[in-house]
Amino acid sequence: MAEAALRNQIRTLRFLAGEMTQAELGERIGVTRQTVAAIEAGKYSPSLEAAFRIARVFGKPLEEVFQWDDSADPAAPPREPRQP
Amino acid sequence: MAFREKIAWVTLIAMVLAYGVYFGAVVALGENARGPVTADSLWMLWLFAALTIAQLAAIAITSLILSLRSGREARARADERDQAIARRGAAVAYHVLLTGMIVVGVVLPFEASGWRIVNAALFALVLAEFVRHAAVVIGYRRGWHG
Repeated sequence: MAEAALRNQIRTLRFLAGEMTQAELGERIGVTRQTVAAIEAGKYSPSLEAAFRIARVFGKPLEEVFQWDDSADPAAPPREPRQP
Repeated sequence: MAFREKIAWVTLIAMVLAYGVYFGAVVALGENARGPVTADSLWMLWLFAALTIAQLAAIAITSLILSLRSGREARARADERDQAIARRGAAVAYHVLLTGMIVVGVVLPFEASGWRIVNAALFALVLAEFVRHAAVVIGYRRGWHG
């Protein structure tokens, strides 16, 4: 199985949110505990809607919860150099 | 383990047991299971039907026990991951069923008849259903990035 290119900080954010359980997070975004566990472990890439719901639960922008790892994505185009 | 994964495992095991008996009997009967369809040989269809009903009953009873043990999780609606895994299972099984039906309906009539065609069609149906549930189990076990 290919390594997931989508990384996330959900475990850390749960800890910082008063050790919120996977079940609590799942209940708030409308998925099962197992699905939250799969998202955390990188075994399942959530839909955009679920990703936004997770970010809203923690009060963070999406890119602070989920990051795209170019090194794990063989189809990633070469990065454009940033404009000064 | 997710409730729906447990159900998929139960279904796989029940299918192996039930249809293992049927297709085991077909193989053991040899040429007798490949001859023309006659009134005397219709017991094979009855055997298949009886095993299917027994398998469905076993799955229903086991699912009921599992749902009583799982509580809220069993009553929860399938979430987006459950639906994605189920869709992939159906998509994979569709190709198996399509291939099976082409073999049964287009290829086999040129070289076989009677029970050989009937059993090949039944095998294609069973195999497609088996693949569907196996894909669901793999989806839960190995992950899904779709």
